[in-house]
Amino acid sequence: MKKWVKSLGVVAMAASMIIASGCGGEKSSGGSSEKEGNDLEGKTISVVLKTLSSPYWKYVEAGAKAAGKELGVEVNVVGPASESQVIEQVNMIEDQINQSPGALVVSPTQPSTVVPSLEQATQQGIPVLLIDTDAELKDKTTFIGTENFTAGQEAGKLLASMLNKGDEVALISGALGNTATDERIKGAKKALEDAGMKVVAEQPADSDKSKAMSVMENILQNNKNIKGVFAANDDMALGVLRAVEAKGMKIPVIGTDGTVEAVESIIAGKLAGTIAQSPYDMGYLGVENAIKAIKGEKVEKRIDSGIDVITKENAQEKLEFLKSITKE
Amino acid sequence: MRELAVNSSETNVEKKSVKHYLSKFGALIGLIILCTVLTILSDKFLTINNIMNIARQSSINALLALGMLLPILTAGIDLSVGSILAISIMLMGIVSVNMGMHPILGILVCLLVGCFFGWLNGILLTKLKLPHPFISTLGTMNIARGLALIVTAAAPIAGFPYLIQFLGREFVGPIPVSFLLVIVMYIIFHIFLTRTKTGRYIYAIGGNKEAAHLSGINVDRVLVIVYTISGFMASLAGLVMVGRVNSAFPLAGLSYELDAIAAVIIGGASFFGGVGTVWGTLIGALIIAVLRNGLNLLNVSADFQMAVIGFVIIAAVYVDVIRQRKSKKD
Repeated sequence: MKKWVKSLGVVAMAASMIIASGCGGEKSSGGSSEKEGNDLEGKTISVVLKTLSSPYWKYVEAGAKAAGKELGVEVNVVGPASESQVIEQVNMIEDQINQSPGALVVSPTQPSTVVPSLEQATQQGIPVLLIDTDAELKDKTTFIGTENFTAGQEAGKLLASMLNKGDEVALISGALGNTATDERIKGAKKALEDAGMKVVAEQPADSDKSKAMSVMENILQNNKNIKGVFAANDDMALGVLRAVEAKGMKIPVIGTDGTVEAVESIIAGKLAGTIAQSPYDMGYLGVENAIKAIKGEKVEKRIDSGIDVITKENAQEKLEFLKSITKE
Repeated sequence: MRELAVNSSETNVEKKSVKHYLSKFGALIGLIILCTVLTILSDKFLTINNIMNIARQSSINALLALGMLLPILTAGIDLSVGSILAISIMLMGIVSVNMGMHPILGILVCLLVGCFFGWLNGILLTKLKLPHPFISTLGTMNIARGLALIVTAAAPIAGFPYLIQFLGREFVGPIPVSFLLVIVMYIIFHIFLTRTKTGRYIYAIGGNKEAAHLSGINVDRVLVIVYTISGFMASLAGLVMVGRVNSAFPLAGLSYELDAIAAVIIGGASFFGGVGTVWGTLIGALIIAVLRNGLNLLNVSADFQMAVIGFVIIAAVYVDVIRQRKSKKD
């Protein structure tokens, strides 16, 4: 008798665990829908991100929730446990559609995979807004993000401003075929060449810190006159910096992304600067424009969420901002 | 312990029915409790729409788990199913999208690639005599994943012809075709495992490999069949996945072997082989899908979902442990 009671107890525990988790979930689904009644009455906005487990996406989440709070609409932010869980993201989108949200804000991990389920949403009249990464969805309301080419251009301009005409520079790209990093390199190259710099080396380092370090060591073997470096992400920039420091050189290195580590390095006077996308703004703009779409107001087909140029002057401020938005 | 033993003999008559009930329907009872709780917590849970969502969302794992059941019945394991899924659909994409060949040919390529890698698992185990299928399938898991990344230099493939999308995308009335496929495959496997010689050999090998060998069963041949079928089911699951999302990508099915194993185990199969049914496995797959879906409806974070599923696996196996301990005593 005792034993089957025991085993039933296990099942009961499982059930109570689920109930407990349900309560936990309700608490975490922040935002309040007190004020601003009319069109938004009882409407929620579902935000499905690539994951919630990395700092970048935490910033997007923080932005989306802040917008929900300030504009008075309930916002649910969900995402799989990692960016590799592509089908789980599709499932989450379906489960959100099933709850008839007022609007959907999605950042697709594999753009083509979300199209069938998002088409379902638009057919049901749910506005779909894409952030960070675009997808070929016919009836999407808008795409909110930054052009990597522009980010690269800004980096190129920043680097050029620290150098003299005719100086030699090196570019470190991401993995072959990575369109995001490739675009950044293209933009940087254009800006640098327009400013009269000479690009003498351009090599991939797969967005990896230690790989960037050895790639840079090799470049410095052959090109002793390099006066500046741009890397297509911050990890690579920090790797490049190590190689440069090991050689006892002091030349400006510029990265991209604006990670905490990079910003701290800028404050310490090591990294010369970085170009940051604004994940917080993407989340905020996503929800803000979703509300517009629900109200039937016009939303631009393409919204630029802006680029931040971070150098020693504003690095401290940026670091405090990064820390403040993740604290919540 | 002794106290318990006394207790159990005292209540033998009453308990027999309870025990019988639990061992036969333990997972099913769990599923029913789960559904009841979720119905109370979310008004969106028990709707036709959502039930069909669950049917669709469970189908990929249900197919993988059905394939996984066979190696587990032989006291083995197949860690490569997620990777086999990926290489199968990538090659199907190359044939039917990039090269523009007939969709039927693409489907054939997909299923044959699955069979090939499964067969390879079987050969590695029986001919190369690698000590445990954990090792052979761990090897093919990495090989197949690597190849899936190599064949298109990690680029995804989208825009599949309708015929390929059919299984994963279409509905008969409100019912997704993918779930009908699941039902059909489970019935076929049920018949295969219970009514054919090979099916019964699979249980026999899991029960006692030596004895099976001595009684004249060609153990190696059966094992090769088992792993080939598992590979085939992985590619079939891939076909369904491609239909659902109209794309193939090299990281598809990453770590899906773990969900498949979980479904089989929650469904009451024993890791030591010889014990387990297709219907238990189906319920196991449904429990996982219902949990994920329900927790999504309640907006529980994905991290928490992982923890809950981990808990359910342990709870389900614990019930199994108690059951076995009891049956040994009886």
